[in-house]
Amino acid sequence: MSWLSRQFPTRVIALIPVAIAINIVLGYTVQTVLKLPIYLDSIGTILVGVLAGPIAGAVTGFASNIIWQYAPGIGGGTIGPFAITAAVIGLLAGLWGYLGVYRPRPAAGARLWLAALVGIAIIVLLASRIYGNPAYADPDFFVPWYSTAILIVGIVMSIAVAAAVLLRRDTSGAWVAVAGAVTGIVAALVSAPISAYVFGGVTGGGTDVLVAALRQGGADVFNASLGQGFFSDPIDKTITSFVVFVVLASLSRRVVARFPLGERVVTPEPAAA
Amino acid sequence: MTLALRGVRYRYAGAAAAALEGVSLTLEPGHVLGVVGPNGAGKSTLCLVAAGLAPATIGGELAGEVRIDGVTTASSRPHELAQRCGILFQNPTTQLSGTSATVWEEVAFGPRNLGLPLEEVVARVDAALDALTIRPLADRDPERLSGGQAQLVALAGVLALRPAYLVLDEPTSQLDPQGTRLVGTAIGELARQTGAGVLVVEHKTDLLATIAEQVAVLVAGSVVASDEAASILADARLEAWGIESPSRIRIERAARRAGVHLVSEVEA
Amino acid sequence: MQPSDPAASAASAGPPGVPAFVQRPPEGAYRRLNPTTKLVIAVVEALTAFVLRGWTGLVIVLALVVVTAAVARIGRAMLPFMLATIPLIASILLVNTFLYPGATDAIVRIGPLTPSWSGLEFATQAALRVVAFALSVAVFGLTTRPDDLVSDLERRGLGRRVGFVISATLRTVPRILQRAGEITEAQRARGMDTEGGIWRRVRGVLPLAGPLIFGALTDVEEQAMALEARAFSAPARRTVLRTFPDSPAQRTLRWALLATLLLVVGLSVSGRLEFLP
Repeated sequence: MSWLSRQFPTRVIALIPVAIAINIVLGYTVQTVLKLPIYLDSIGTILVGVLAGPIAGAVTGFASNIIWQYAPGIGGGTIGPFAITAAVIGLLAGLWGYLGVYRPRPAAGARLWLAALVGIAIIVLLASRIYGNPAYADPDFFVPWYSTAILIVGIVMSIAVAAAVLLRRDTSGAWVAVAGAVTGIVAALVSAPISAYVFGGVTGGGTDVLVAALRQGGADVFNASLGQGFFSDPIDKTITSFVVFVVLASLSRRVVARFPLGERVVTPEPAAA
Repeated sequence: MTLALRGVRYRYAGAAAAALEGVSLTLEPGHVLGVVGPNGAGKSTLCLVAAGLAPATIGGELAGEVRIDGVTTASSRPHELAQRCGILFQNPTTQLSGTSATVWEEVAFGPRNLGLPLEEVVARVDAALDALTIRPLADRDPERLSGGQAQLVALAGVLALRPAYLVLDEPTSQLDPQGTRLVGTAIGELARQTGAGVLVVEHKTDLLATIAEQVAVLVAGSVVASDEAASILADARLEAWGIESPSRIRIERAARRAGVHLVSEVEA
Repeated sequence: MQPSDPAASAASAGPPGVPAFVQRPPEGAYRRLNPTTKLVIAVVEALTAFVLRGWTGLVIVLALVVVTAAVARIGRAMLPFMLATIPLIASILLVNTFLYPGATDAIVRIGPLTPSWSGLEFATQAALRVVAFALSVAVFGLTTRPDDLVSDLERRGLGRRVGFVISATLRTVPRILQRAGEITEAQRARGMDTEGGIWRRVRGVLPLAGPLIFGALTDVEEQAMALEARAFSAPARRTVLRTFPDSPAQRTLRWALLATLLLVVGLSVSGRLEFLP
């Protein structure tokens, strides 16, 4: 019990409600006001995961979805059951934080290019696994434009990785992008069964068109949801990861360092006077 | 029985230089000590160190001694410190717990955390509300109060823990003139009413002139002067240190320079 | 409603000295139930709707919801919750009726479209599940104040930190929502588009997300300090301020509901409930 207690010092307890509120407000605004096909409702979850560890991250994600579902006024819809996905996202974020993915690593020249290339290689590898998914290569389920769509997503993300690394002169851009992509893929894998089991495979949003098209092409309930997830989630989680990365880099060192995983997020301090 | 700092040196976690250097101060129960200083002098740091939040809650390195009624802050846990020395910050809204539907419950937050018996909690809340004459606010929503009112509620919440000493870090800096008056009056009465020792950090030297008995000047992390309020606030070096003298002093100086003889009414 | 003179209400029902406006007991038959009872009902309803496949679970939950809504007199208030589910239900019905994979029992053929009976059955069940869930959420949300629930759970032993997170979140969300509205307004005045093409809207996200997140996070440090200064990390059990009446009947009901839920989940998972329609 004491280890669990140490995951939640007062500082973390003060952060979690704010993180949950950020999740809900941004998720709601993006969905309802801006009407964009991304979710952007995990920024708080990943932030807490990176700063305070996997358990805190998981709790933040889970609570965000439950509270949003039952919140008066803005609640309702399909958010609640996906609390499991949100918890997994928080867990992964804690892992990335522990591995120091979000620590700035300023570099120059050849190292930057190397990092960009490695990042792109990993993204391409992941995209090709989805592209070559036997469910989509099935002659009964031939949706050529979907495979092309995945290819384009892969290319766009590769460009984003390269830009992030080279423009910020920071090799961490590559790791953040890869972490985001992996988180997105895992999120899609966890969400698909929930969507299929609970909501019959749709969510009431614009992406249901994609689900319909995949079904038209022959996919079953689960694979159609999965296909939609593979399209939306990696992009969404990569954007989210970058936002968290930028936010962490702009927060004062003193504030960040005191969080349980804070030391893994800040650059090693110069020798004290 | 005092709140005493002896040769205190404090460095924030992750900072290269010390924020406080060789600071020694004594605060006695029932007395009001003012602290003035330019921006960046370390006044907020001084508050955190005096109340024990540094290093207990925010880390960092503390050298020297901070003793509250004889017990060092370094050897105390945060909830023990909260009962010995209360602290009030500048921002009225961040100090509200954010969990209470009414002011009454907000003030009860501290005593409830200590697990005190219900009758004791009720007694302390009522006493704190009365001490600051904010009983009429008891059923209001804390998030719907004016800045000055919110500060008083926060102060009541701190008083409910019955600390022997109070540290106030620029309590009126984010308030409008009405709020400043409200809180300023309350602070003035505080030491007399509760018998607590009060340390007030303020930019508004006018306010200090009315409530502080002693004033210490903090510049670049060290105490450069400490004396009776009247003599410190009239000291000519204040401007050189980056501190604005009280308006009365400034008017008198300006009058003297212009060769005008001012007859001042005796102020309360 | 709220007495303006707190001192006069000190002698009201409840623990001595605690003013009435702090106790604020809810009124109404269903509302007066212990908050934990209402919570258990909501959880059991939600899980039953999803765990029991087929029509049985749905009928049970819908019946429960209708009964509780009638008792609590919230029929009309539930309307917005119902309306909010319409886009989702429409999507479920359309996509699943017309595009149910592997279905061969066509209802009719209208050109390229072939709605199927199995698709329609699947779709209707899924849609009703959503409705049942949404209504159980509505009943809970309309009859249970979060303050009350957290108070009661804390009395039963819920840690102060969990209680704090729930309460603080519920007060922080409206505050940050308002702040988001202010930022959007300010930027619309500066020419940012919230209508317009998708690319312009994407560009509008960062100027919103950045200040919002930053503003929210800068105060966290001071909030944490303020909490510590109010003895938040004291080891004692927090004093109970508000009590809600409970009864042996309610206690029995709660345990019965939970036991039934466990039974149902177990049987369902092990496949023993196939006989239910």
